[in-house]
Amino acid sequence: MGVPVARRNLFAEKGRFAISVAGVGFAVLLILIVLALYRGFSRSGQTFKDLPGQLWIVQQGTTDPFHSISLVSRVELEDAQTVDGIAAVVPVLSRTQEFTVNGKTESGRLIALDIDSSLPLPDETRRRFLPSEGTIVIDGILSDKTGLSSNETAEFNGVRLVVGHVEPASSEAFTPFIFLNATDATRIFARDDLVSYGMVILQPGAESGGVAQAIQARNPNVQVFTSNEFATSIRKEIDESFLPIITVLLVIGFVVGAAVVGLTIYTATIERSREFGVMKAVGGSAGFLYRIVLSQSSMLTAAGFVIGLVAAWSVAQLVRELVPDFVTIFRAQDVIAVFGGTVLMALVASFVPVRRINSIDPAIVFRA
Amino acid sequence: MSENEHIILQARGVTKVFGEGETAVHAVDSVDLDVSAGEMVLIMGPSGSGKTTLLTMLGGLLRPTSGSILIDGTDITKLSDAQLTPVRRKSVGFIFQSFNLWETLSVEENIELTLNMAGVSGSQAKSRARTLLEERGLASRLRFRARELSGGEKQRVSIARALANEPQLVLADEPTANLDSKHGRDVMHLLRDISRSGERAVVVVSHDQRIREVADRVLWLEDGRIKDIGSLVRDPVCGMSVEQQNAAASLEHAGQTYHFCSRGCSWEFQESPEKFMLTHGPAKVRGG
Repeated sequence: MGVPVARRNLFAEKGRFAISVAGVGFAVLLILIVLALYRGFSRSGQTFKDLPGQLWIVQQGTTDPFHSISLVSRVELEDAQTVDGIAAVVPVLSRTQEFTVNGKTESGRLIALDIDSSLPLPDETRRRFLPSEGTIVIDGILSDKTGLSSNETAEFNGVRLVVGHVEPASSEAFTPFIFLNATDATRIFARDDLVSYGMVILQPGAESGGVAQAIQARNPNVQVFTSNEFATSIRKEIDESFLPIITVLLVIGFVVGAAVVGLTIYTATIERSREFGVMKAVGGSAGFLYRIVLSQSSMLTAAGFVIGLVAAWSVAQLVRELVPDFVTIFRAQDVIAVFGGTVLMALVASFVPVRRINSIDPAIVFRA
Repeated sequence: MSENEHIILQARGVTKVFGEGETAVHAVDSVDLDVSAGEMVLIMGPSGSGKTTLLTMLGGLLRPTSGSILIDGTDITKLSDAQLTPVRRKSVGFIFQSFNLWETLSVEENIELTLNMAGVSGSQAKSRARTLLEERGLASRLRFRARELSGGEKQRVSIARALANEPQLVLADEPTANLDSKHGRDVMHLLRDISRSGERAVVVVSHDQRIREVADRVLWLEDGRIKDIGSLVRDPVCGMSVEQQNAAASLEHAGQTYHFCSRGCSWEFQESPEKFMLTHGPAKVRGG
């Protein structure tokens, strides 16, 4: 093992080292938090994949469940049920709705599945999505945000419903879902002939693409999404709105990190020009000197990465407490990618100091 | 120089010109120099005479405008920068006026790092570093930072570092300039010991007259050229060496001729000749 020159050089200026590590840590924190928020937002629409249907019949021209109103008649859905391969078409009533909790007005996405009780469904599905009349199922985000918990009451257009249970897990960061009984939904929406969507449960072995085509061929006034397409239609808006912003923030984070490391190492290199000159004079090869600079950058970014990771995790916990709507998800792949980014940061940050080292004249050693 | 002597350094017609045309300055002009193993050569001369430029070229840190420099038979003027690096690492040891130690490292690490550059690392490097430092009386300073040492100790570390990779040629630039007389004397003897070991050639550039005591040869460099040391005499007033034929003034006193660097020195001498005769002794500069 050789002399740890890089470490000695960095620790010679402890204050600057600490500030630089904090700078890189802040950049890593920014990148990780933005990514974690994006991952949290990107899970929106997951509920449509968790529901038992494989296809969704909507009114022609509907873009997505959140920003587009779909009205489909029960008659149309009954007609669609005659298509081969379909076990059931479940009328779904859904809309974003205001409600009051302890005198405070809140909002959520009501969803009611008018499902035949004889349809065989797993108990877990019934527990999560099919509350009994007079009750609702809400998720943890809504519970945290409104303070509404099990056995408490919320009022929807004068209809008082009791929280049956709170689902701790949630994927809907923007608009929390509230599952209610179809009878209650009909009372709240005050319409029975029209519903929002038809959720299609396929028979085992049925091919979804063929069934979707058959439904649309039968009724041109509707269009059919797969569950995945329906969920993706929600994420599309997030991707289109947030991805450019997120990309800019990620680039800013990267540039800030690289600039902090680069400036620190560059300053340290300038300050130690003479010492690098001595190394050159006494036979230090270019590679030997580059390794010192690269080691300095790597140590700085590695320390910054660890600090940033811990800080991001802590901030995420704090945000979860203070702003429940902000769902953050840390994926191992993202953390690894950010680590890769910091390695790249170290390489980029070494570029200018290495050029500086190249320009140091070893004859500097003879100047008093 | 006998035929059996092993010539380590051989410079022929070494010239360095800075600038071009009318503004060209011949910092070093057609210098020839041979230094053998076991020999210590002292190069003296006034400030700006080209001493350091010559030393920089001999160490492969500056390319001469013309001429050749052979270190143990290898003409370093023909080597690329990349090829020069290992020559400096393995064949040349540098000792500097301002020590040039790596301040963030310990004394021991200063030597180890030099060994690391040559591919020696771990316990082998540590052991060699300790030996070199202990031999120079620095056993109790191994873990000290360079800034915690006295000037004399720093220069001893610098000497240990110069010898780390067992070079054949040691180049020292004003090695005693920043030291008091006691430490300067210590360093002089260390340099002498290096050359007396018989394996290395030592070239020292200095204004320090004391080094003349331990040098095998003294060369005078002025205006970039090596002058005949025999024609140099010392100004009895200021102690400076002057060329006899180009002296600013000359005076006869008590049957002897004295030469001066300036008329001011000659006037001062005339006021009280005995005082200067006692101070500086014989006026002739010892040659090699």
